[in-house]
Formats: sequence, C-alpha cells, structure tokens
Amino acid sequence: MKFSEEEIRKITFDAINELGDRATPEAVKELVRIKVENMGGDYKFAKGDASSGRVILTSFGLNHPGIVAGVTKALGDANCDIQDLSQKLLGDFFTMIMVIDITSSQKDLKEIQEDMNKVAESLKVKIYLQHEDVFRFMHRI
Amino acid sequence: MPYEFEEILETIRMTEIEHFDIRTVTMGISLRDCHDRNIEVTKQKIYDKIIRYGSKHVKLAKEVEAQYGISIANKRVSVTPISIPFDACSMEEFIEIAKTLDQAAEEIGIDYIAGYSALVQKGMTNGERELIKSIPYALAQTKRVCSSVNIGSTKAGINMDAVNMMSEAIKLTAELTKDRDSIGCAKLVVFANAVEDNPFVAGAFHGVSEPEIVLNVVTSGTGVVLEAIKEAGYVDLQQLAEVIKKTIFKITRAGELIGRKVAEKHGIPFGIVDISLAPTPAEGDSIGDILKAMGVEDVGAPGTTAALAMLNDSVKKAGLMASSAVGGMSGAFIPVSEDMGMIRAVQAGNLSLEKLEAMTAVCSVGLDMIAVPGDTAATTIAGIIADEAAIGMINDKTTAVRIIPAYGKKVGDMVDYGGLLGKAPIMEVRTISSAGFVGRGGRIPAPMRSLTN
Repeated sequence: MKFSEEEIRKITFDAINELGDRATPEAVKELVRIKVENMGGDYKFAKGDASSGRVILTSFGLNHPGIVAGVTKALGDANCDIQDLSQKLLGDFFTMIMVIDITSSQKDLKEIQEDMNKVAESLKVKIYLQHEDVFRFMHRI
Repeated sequence: MPYEFEEILETIRMTEIEHFDIRTVTMGISLRDCHDRNIEVTKQKIYDKIIRYGSKHVKLAKEVEAQYGISIANKRVSVTPISIPFDACSMEEFIEIAKTLDQAAEEIGIDYIAGYSALVQKGMTNGERELIKSIPYALAQTKRVCSSVNIGSTKAGINMDAVNMMSEAIKLTAELTKDRDSIGCAKLVVFANAVEDNPFVAGAFHGVSEPEIVLNVVTSGTGVVLEAIKEAGYVDLQQLAEVIKKTIFKITRAGELIGRKVAEKHGIPFGIVDISLAPTPAEGDSIGDILKAMGVEDVGAPGTTAALAMLNDSVKKAGLMASSAVGGMSGAFIPVSEDMGMIRAVQAGNLSLEKLEAMTAVCSVGLDMIAVPGDTAATTIAGIIADEAAIGMINDKTTAVRIIPAYGKKVGDMVDYGGLLGKAPIMEVRTISSAGFVGRGGRIPAPMRSLTN
C-alpha cells in the first residue's frame, strides 16, 4: 500500500499531536512507522521515489551472441518489466534501448544499476540506466 | 517507444561523452537568527544550523546522481552575508566565525562554503569595515571559506573607498597565502550588482530577501555546446544561434529536473537554476574553444567580443524558455585559470587584459581568475576593479573581479592550484598609474538610465 504525500503529512501531524511535549524527531519517526505498519502499509516510502517509475536502459558495444539474452535475463531475475525494446545494428556495432518498469522489482534503481554493471562487464558492452524523467524533460515540452 | 532512438542516444552522448553534468548544487542557508551577544554562542548557533540543514547535502545529491545518471560535480553551501547578522562583531570575532564556517563545511563534507561577504555599494557600517579588514586573515586561516564584497551597483554608484579597501585586502591576502601561490585571492570576489541567488562559489551568498533555506542549481554543458557547434559545420550566424539555443534548452531542462529532485529529497524549496556556461580545466570543457569553434582564430582576435555576445545571448534565450526558475548569473563565464582555451590564448600572447575587459561587457561576471604580477600596485588593482564595476554599473549587469597578484611572480610565470581552480599564466598589467584617480575616494554617483548612448 502506498501513501500520498498528503496522507503522510497527516499521519505525521497526528503523531506530533499525540506525542505532545515528548515529540522528538526520533519519537515522531518511530510512531509514524508504527501507524503506517498498522494501516497495512510499508514503511519503505521513506526511500523516496527512487524505486518507482520507468527507467531507460541503453546498451551498446561490439555485436556478439548473447547480449540481449544476458541483459534480459538479469532484468527478469530482478523482476523488472520490459515495456519496450528497440535494437539496431550499425555494421558490427550493436545498440539497444529498453523502457523498463521497475515498480514491481524488489530492488531499487541503484541495485539494478549495480547488477547491470556486472552484466556489462561480462558481456563487454556498455549499459546505462537512467530514470525516464531525464529524457522526458530534455526532449518533450 | 515513447522516445526516438536518436533522442535517447543524444542524451547518453551528452552525459557520458561530452561532460554534461550539473556543475553545482548550492544550498542557501540563512544565518540571520544566529546572532548572540556571546561570540561562543554565536559560533555554536552557526555550526549547529549548518550541520542541521547540510548534513545530508552530499548524500542526497549522490542519490539523485545515481537515479538520473547525471553527475553533480560540486555540492556547496552559501550563507547570509556574514556582515549582516553579525554587524556588532570585531575583526577578531569575524575571523573566529570564518573558522566556524570552515569546520562546519568540513563536517558536512563539502569543498567550499561561501558568504563571508559584505554589501557596501553605498556605504559601510562599522561591522562591514571590520569584516573587510578581516578577510585576508580569514582566507589565510581557512581552507573552505569564500568571500565576496559588493562595491558598486547601478542604483548606488561605485563606492571608491570600498574599492580601495578591497584592493589592499587582495594584496594582503596574496601575501598571507604566498606559500600556496596566493590561493586566498582565488576565494575572494569583488562585485558590482551582485545577485542574491548566485549559486556560484566563490561569489555565492544567501541574499537577505531569500527564504530560510533554499536549493539552487548550476548546469554546465560547455562541452556539449562545443560539440554541437562543431557538428553544425559552417552555417550562418542565425543558424548557429539556433544550434546553441537548442542545446542549452535541453541542458537547462535536465538541470531544473535534478535541482527539483534534490530539493524534494531534502524537503526544502527549490530556488533557481543558473544556466551559465562555465568552463572547467578539463580538455574540451572550454569557452575559449567554443569561441574558436564559432570561427575566430584564437580568443582575443577581433570579432571575439561579438562571438561571445551572441553566445551569451543565445544561452539566456534558450534557458528562459526552458525554465521559469532561471536566476543567478546565467551567462557565459570567462575565467582564465579554469579554461584551457583561455590559458592557451594568454600564453600565445593573443589575449590581453584589455581585450578580456572588453569581453566582460557582453557576458557574465567579469575579470575572473586573472593572475597578475605580485608587484602590481594596490592602486592599479583598485583601478582594474573600478573599471570592471563601471561596466557593470552602466550596463545594468553583474560584473566581478577575482584577481590574483601572485606574490613574488612575474609575467610569464604560472600559478597552479590544481583541481577546479586550474592554473593561470601571469598576465601583463600596464604600469601607468591609477593612483591619482582612485585615491580621491568617495563615491562615483549612480548613473542615469535614459539618453543611453
């Protein structure tokens, strides 16, 4: 269960009122955590939005068998949903772009990036993962 | 696919190959509530406040870096001009405050903290006089503190008494830091028309009309613009302006996104995005090289000022279209020591101090990171500052002087600071005297704003 910013604010204010004079930052944090968990939520929202949304994966390097397989296998293992895939060959040069949804993944973007660094090293290609917003902001008004 | 293949590759090329990065995220912190009659309490309040807001500054910026794949080169802090909340302090107490700022900056893991500043364009309070006197000692005894003083504005004119004090302060700073190539002067900026939301260190400060806390961001796509101009080939100037604008537009959009995300993570307001084109000593990240790519043989050739004017204007136009939060300096910077193209032009004898001064009339800031002989007279430095301030005052723009009279060095020598400050060849300064003019003191009256021919 996810909470909106508004809801989180309300829960926090309730916690501050409840604690009254005893409201230290740590005490408020702890009470908010208990309240959220009691409501069936997951306190992970404090991590921010890094673990949500779509990510663009770009991969390039010299073509050889197994690149697509290697990348998609690692994504599958991390429970990432590939929404779109486009691939081109320019001579021996291989380029692949994927749009991935990582909301259902148990890992956050940073962890997936670390996984991909290992894949990139073993496949001898370059792999970049960037949040979709960068592309949206740069290329769409 | 929601984006074209080419669009995605363009972004990857910018971030991975052409050094597009977020130059700086600067957190502005107000220190106006930190005064106390007891200097020890004042120092503790300053330290605690900077730690409270700034402790996660570096960590959160790094998180955003990883998320968007765009690196953030510097994380910095600016504070309220120190002379304002602590006007009752003596010179010795100001130095103590500088040390406190230095400690706080070290504790939160940033390289520079700026705002050891005073705004004296019209006149000076006793506190401001004490602060200016303390600057050389403060800069010599700290590593991370940066200082700036505003000595002129279009509305107030130029405070020549302050100019004279600053030229003496610069000379003394150079002497006190002579064992490190007079590095103190690299952290001291003299402004005319200083802006309150400037996120660029060394000149940054958190203006008095700014909120309690704010996050400002500086984009920098110098390398990207250079590549775009090279790729455009020999097109006419209108087409070239288009190329520059399109590139800057994309950079600014990305910059605003990153700034907002960092501010969001902190839970503090986002202030402005400064769209300045600023070089770094890295090869290819040079304004000088951009000017050459535009067609002049070297920086300093006739036509350089026109090329720079067009570049600067294109940057502004595109940035303003891309973001509603444009602020700070927002123009092309032409520091010498931080730009390989400019360094080469000076060494080849193609770029003189006088041409550089003319160029500053049409771009951001002014005579920045200029090294001159150590025996340059204080009155000559005052003359240089006054000239630059006059350009700012008359043209209604910000100008600054960050000049290094490198102690014991002569024309042809080099100063080398390493890192972002780079290295600078000592430039020739005319030895004919300014003393009779600047020595009069007083104030150059504010200029008129009509009949502007």
